[in-house]
Amino acid sequence: MKKRMTKILSLLVVGAMTVATFVGCGSTGKGDDKGSSDGAKIGVLVADVSGEEAQGFRNYYEKYIAGNYDVEFTYTDALESAEDEKAAIEKFASQGCDAIISLSSSDRAQQIETCEKYGVYYAIASGVLDNEQYETYKGYEHFVGQVGPSNETEFEAGKEMGAHFKDQGVKSVALYGAFIPNPMHVYRAAGVLVGLGCTYGGASDMDAIVGQIFADQGVTLSKVAGDTQVVAYLQGYGDTTTDELNAAIQKNPEAFISVGMATTFFTQTLNEAGIQFSDIDSFTEANGAAIKDGKLVYLAGKYSSSIGPVFALVMNAINGNVIRDDNGNAVSVSQGYLVATDGESFDSFYLSDNGSNPIYSKDTLDSIIGDDVTYADVKSLIESK
Amino acid sequence: MSIPKRALGTIAIPLISFIILEALCLQHGSHVITNMRSFDNFVVYVAIVMITTIALSINLNSGRFDFSLGSMAALSAVIGAKITYAVLGGGQGSAAMMLLITVVAGALLGLISGCVYVALRIPPIITSLGITLIYEGIMYTITEGKYLRAEVQNSSMSGFVSTWKYAFVIIVVVLVATIVLFDHTRFGYDYKALKDGQKVAVNTGINEVKNALGCYAICGGLMGLVGFLNAARNTTINGGQLNFASIAIMFTAFLPMFIGSYISRFTNERIGFLLAAVTMSLLNSTFAVFSNEVTASMQSIINAVLLVVFLIYLNNENLLVRIFSKK
Repeated sequence: MKKRMTKILSLLVVGAMTVATFVGCGSTGKGDDKGSSDGAKIGVLVADVSGEEAQGFRNYYEKYIAGNYDVEFTYTDALESAEDEKAAIEKFASQGCDAIISLSSSDRAQQIETCEKYGVYYAIASGVLDNEQYETYKGYEHFVGQVGPSNETEFEAGKEMGAHFKDQGVKSVALYGAFIPNPMHVYRAAGVLVGLGCTYGGASDMDAIVGQIFADQGVTLSKVAGDTQVVAYLQGYGDTTTDELNAAIQKNPEAFISVGMATTFFTQTLNEAGIQFSDIDSFTEANGAAIKDGKLVYLAGKYSSSIGPVFALVMNAINGNVIRDDNGNAVSVSQGYLVATDGESFDSFYLSDNGSNPIYSKDTLDSIIGDDVTYADVKSLIESK
Repeated sequence: MSIPKRALGTIAIPLISFIILEALCLQHGSHVITNMRSFDNFVVYVAIVMITTIALSINLNSGRFDFSLGSMAALSAVIGAKITYAVLGGGQGSAAMMLLITVVAGALLGLISGCVYVALRIPPIITSLGITLIYEGIMYTITEGKYLRAEVQNSSMSGFVSTWKYAFVIIVVVLVATIVLFDHTRFGYDYKALKDGQKVAVNTGINEVKNALGCYAICGGLMGLVGFLNAARNTTINGGQLNFASIAIMFTAFLPMFIGSYISRFTNERIGFLLAAVTMSLLNSTFAVFSNEVTASMQSIINAVLLVVFLIYLNNENLLVRIFSKK
C-alpha cells in the first residue's frame, strides 16, 4: 500500500514538474479563429506581458487583427535578455512562422541577424533602431521595416512632460527611469531632465545626456543640476522596488515623473500617497481610471492600434510585396505621441481607438495591404494619424 | 543568567543597530524613521520579516530545509486574490476576505508539501525544490505569467498597509500563537523532542509524521500571511515567477534567522526573531534614507556582507572570547 502510494505520488510530482517546465513556453493567441495552416503565421517578441500598453497591443493583434485577417499570432513570454530573444526567434523559425514582429529591444541588431539567417521577415513595432544600426541593417533582405516613435520623438515626449511640471511651478520631483538602459527609456529620461530645466553632468543637449545615461546605466542624481530638484530616482521592477518607491515617497516630491510603466506598477501607491504623477504609456481603460479618479495628471501615449501599419508591412512582405523606401531600403516611419492631461482629453483619444472600431481599422489597413501598395501610401497614411 | 544580563543580551543587537543607524542618518540630516508613513512601512516590514523568519526556522530547526516557502506565499496570495476578486470585485472587506483565504490556502499548500515529503521519504531539500517548481508552474498557469493588479488594487487592500495598526496586530497574534503552540502545547513538546533527538523521541512514542505535517501546515499558513502582506504592500503579485524565482522571498529571512537564534540565548526564540526583524527593518528604513546614494544592488550586497560577517562571528565566538579574556 505504502509502495503504491509512493509510486503514485512520484508520478504526480514528475508529471507536475513536467507541466511546470513546459508551462513557460510560448503561447498562441486565442483570437486566431481564422488562423489555419494556410494563413500567415506571425511570431511576436515581447519583453512585457503585463503592462497596460503591452496588453492593449496584444488585444489589438489577437482580437481585432486575427479576427479580421487570415493570420495566427504566436506570442513569446516576457523576454528578459538578448539570448531569450535569439532563442525565441529560432523557435518561431522552427515552427514555420512567416514573419516576426518585435516589441522587445534587448538586442535588435541580433534579432535582425537571426531573422536574416533563418529567412524570416522581421519588423519593429512601437520603436526604432538607432540611426547607426538602421544604416547598417536597412538593406537586409528580410528586414521589412520599423514604425514607431523615433529616438528624437522619445526625447521630445520626455522633454514636454518635464516642461509640463516645470511650467506648473513644481520644484521637486521623483523620477522613475523604467527599464533603462532600454534606449527609448534613456531618451525619454534625458528629455525629462531637459524639460525640467536641468543639466546632466553639465550637459544640456540630447546626445551628450543620452550618452552619459547609457554609460551610467541609469540616472545618477549627483550629476543632475538645475531649476528643479530631483529628490529621488529609481528604475526597474523587482524585489526592491516597493522599498525604493517608499523611499522616494518619503522624500516628499511634489510630483512623480515616470518614463514608462508607472501606471502599471505604482498607480495605487501614488494615489494613496496623494502625489501627482505622469507617465508615457498608452490609452487604456485602467489609465483612464487613473487620470479621472486618481493622481495621474499627464499621460503621453500611443493608441493600441498604432501597431497596425507594421502588421500591414509584414503581411505585404509575406504576400510577396516587400515594400522599400525611395532609396530601396527598409521602411522607417516615425510615430508621435498624443498627450492627455485630464479625463476629457483622454477620452478623445481612447474612445476613438477602442474594441471593434480602432483607428487602424480593417478598412484603413486594407488601403495599405495589397500587391500595388507603395512606400508613399504607407508613409502618408501613418503621418495622417 | 541574571535578569539584567538577559535583558541586556536581548536588546543589545537592535539597540546598538539603532544607535549606529540613527547616527548615520543624523549625519545625513535625517532620522531612521522620518515620518508617519515611514513608521507604517517600518512596522509592515517587521511583520513580513518576522513571520517569514519564524516559518523558515520551524522546519529548518528540524533539519528540513524548505525551498518552497516563497512559492507557497506567492501561490496562496494568487489564490486568495483571485477568489476574493471573483466574490467581492475589489469592494469593501476585500482585505479581510483575502487574508483569510490566503492563510487557509497557504496552510493547505504547506500540508501538501508535507505529505509529499512524508510519502516520498527523500531528502526534504530535494522535495522542496520539486514542490517549488510545481507551485510556480500552477501560479504561472493561473495568472498566464502576468502581474495581478486589478485583484489587489483596491481601497480595502491599500488601507491595510497604510497604517501600522493592522500589521502590529498580526505581529502580536503570530507571536503569541507560535509561542503558545511551540512552547506550551503537546505539539510543541513533541516538536522540541524530535528536534533534539529524533530517534529517541520516536522510540518514546511521538508520532513523527503527524508532527512534521503539522509543521508544514503551520509554515504554509504563515507564508500565506506573508503572501497577503506582500501583495498589499507591493500592490501587485508577480505571477510570472518561474525557475525558482520565488525563492527570493525566503532568502530575506536568513540574516534575521541567525540574528534571532543568537538573541534566543537570552530570551524566547520567537521574541528573538521579532527583535531580529526589527533590526532588519531599521536597516531597511536606513536604506530608504540613503536611497539616492545606496542603490538596490548595493543594498543586497550590504545585506549579504552582514550575513557573512555575522556567521563568521558566530563561528569564531569562543575564539574571540578567549582573545579578549586574555587581554
